Amino acid sequence: MQELTLAPPGGAVLSLDAVLILLSALACLGSKLFDRYLSYYALQSVLLAVAAATAAYLEGDPALWVLAGLTLVLKGWAIPTAARHWLVQRLDLKRDSGITTGLSLTLVLGTALCAFAYLAVSPERLAHGLLAASVVPISTAVVLLGALAMVVRRHMVAQLIGWLIMENGVFLGAITLTASFPLIVEVGIFFDLLAGFLIMLAMTTGLAERISPLSIGRSGRDS
Amino acid sequence: MVWLPVLVAALPLVGSAFAALSGRTGWAAVATVAGSAASLLLAVVVATLTITGAPLASAGAFVYVDGLGGFFLVTVAAVVLLASLGSASYLAVEERSGHLSVRRVRVYFGAFGLFAAAMLAAVETANLGLLFILVEAATLASVVLVPIEGRTEGLEAGWRYVIISSLGITVALVGALFLFYSASALPGSAEAHLAWPFLLAHAHQLAPTALRLGFLLGVVGYGTKVGLAPMHTWLPDAHAEAPAPASAMLSGALLNVGMYAIIRLLAIANRGLGSQYGGRTMLIFGFLSVLVGVVFMIRRRDFKRLFAYSSVEHMGIIAVGLGFGGVLGIYGALLHSLNHSLGKTILFLSGGSVALAYGTRRIDRLGGVVGAMPWTGALLLGAALAILGAPPFGLFISEFTIVRAGLAGDQPWLVALLLALLAVAFLAFIKTVGGMLLGAPRGVHREPYRGSREHLLAVAPSVVGLLALLGLGLWIPSWLNSLLAHSVALVR
Repeated sequence: MQELTLAPPGGAVLSLDAVLILLSALACLGSKLFDRYLSYYALQSVLLAVAAATAAYLEGDPALWVLAGLTLVLKGWAIPTAARHWLVQRLDLKRDSGITTGLSLTLVLGTALCAFAYLAVSPERLAHGLLAASVVPISTAVVLLGALAMVVRRHMVAQLIGWLIMENGVFLGAITLTASFPLIVEVGIFFDLLAGFLIMLAMTTGLAERISPLSIGRSGRDS
Repeated sequence: MVWLPVLVAALPLVGSAFAALSGRTGWAAVATVAGSAASLLLAVVVATLTITGAPLASAGAFVYVDGLGGFFLVTVAAVVLLASLGSASYLAVEERSGHLSVRRVRVYFGAFGLFAAAMLAAVETANLGLLFILVEAATLASVVLVPIEGRTEGLEAGWRYVIISSLGITVALVGALFLFYSASALPGSAEAHLAWPFLLAHAHQLAPTALRLGFLLGVVGYGTKVGLAPMHTWLPDAHAEAPAPASAMLSGALLNVGMYAIIRLLAIANRGLGSQYGGRTMLIFGFLSVLVGVVFMIRRRDFKRLFAYSSVEHMGIIAVGLGFGGVLGIYGALLHSLNHSLGKTILFLSGGSVALAYGTRRIDRLGGVVGAMPWTGALLLGAALAILGAPPFGLFISEFTIVRAGLAGDQPWLVALLLALLAVAFLAFIKTVGGMLLGAPRGVHREPYRGSREHLLAVAPSVVGLLALLGLGLWIPSWLNSLLAHSVALVR
């Protein structure tokens, strides 16, 4: 089997960091408190910034440094702070009662998805001069875990956080799979994320004033 | 000449600027219509240039308009113009009746311009990263339009729309990453590896595993936008709850933008993996969508939801055409996307007038609409027949072409299945709409439009659209034909 990491010290840091990112996604999935969701998301984003910085150092790419900074400030600080203030505190959210499957089943499903990610995107099938091939299935797993959170949780805020986690997974993949993604594209994606977050924030507060944010996940009225 | 496509996409922003700066909503409406008209005019010029010469392209294919892009550009710009005219009359009524505040009307026109600009720009780029950004931007701008009438159902529909679409489109971005990666062994800059022309030219050399993954994720991701089953669940809610002209934009233009992205990916897959793989994928999603669309069209009680499920069905038909492949299949699929856009735009615009006049979308509370509103009712009936593929309208020709493609591809059973489903759709749709338009008068009708000028403005876009559909059913102009032929050559 091919060696998984390319540059031993740098690649190892990146791989380790990616594992921590995966763990924070799992931790978020296994939690029931809104405050925790945001803490784990913030932690994950900081780890993502570290990953971007590591890649920037290894590649010597200034664009990636910009990205690492943006990730740290926006995802690690601004978005969690805004969500904590505008959603968790203002709507007085504590315990998420809108989880359709039990926590243990959710985690089992999540683990199954991680295994699936490894089968679908096995590193040895990909690697050719990749920064850290083992990160690719991990990032796929993070995307799937975010999607799982959006599916099994009915609360709007939980769905929003699931989307943010998914986006983090994509970013992790973008950093490693494609270290030299054009900057304009990366910044555009960032902008979309921010705009999407703001719109979802506005809609969540708008809806929460009228109905229980829980009833949203029920399938559409088909009349 | 790269500035020309940029201008096409920027012109609808004139309406947004007026809406942002001026409190006079009338001015915002006029600016939106003027910007959209100028945009369509230039879009035709751009499309003509792509027939006669090389693609209009910038470095890295950030701006890239070839025949395929030109074709979709004209389609989207035409729908935007019709919908902007529809918006002008619809929102004037809503504002006068007190349903919408001045602030909301301004938000509407602001988002409308952004939505149109993002869609036009999306079909003008061949950079897969930028494509994702613009499709997501179009989604976000359109999300603002869905709940604008302030109903709780609208907000819920908007939420489901933004969540499911964002999830889907993120999947498409992962697909773009894998495509990018599949090219990473090739020489060239990072920008080239995300650029469609480069990927197409080197399709044979792309790493097959990554290419297959990228294609599938892209189809699932953008398929969510297109409303391909089983990713269509957000579509009926959003299309029904949005104000009618916004529904027309969603059904007539945004779905096509998603389909444009899929066609670009399909072209790479066809060349890199052989047409079998991509074709089969499209057939599976296509038939599933036609089936789901048709089944849910039976006994619908809300006519806008009926139209929305019909969109799912038609996107399925387009996917089936792409799946049959060959010159006929792709030609038919592209032509069908144009025809469907025009037909669905008229349906939603005329349907919007009915909803304004009767204050309901419930079919069981409506009857004899043709008697009460002769123009709107007749247009709605014509559009219904057109969308069902009745001759002599354009959809008949394009559906017939797709059927011929299936027969030429030696797949008679699939063709039979398609025809059977279309027959069911015909019966379900005409039964519901017929009962609402003809029959004994029911419901309280109040003429929504004041004065002949406003009435003319409300009816004109549908008349123009229906005449265009009639024209497309009788003959295909040579200009359009060569545009389509160009596109087909790119995708095969």
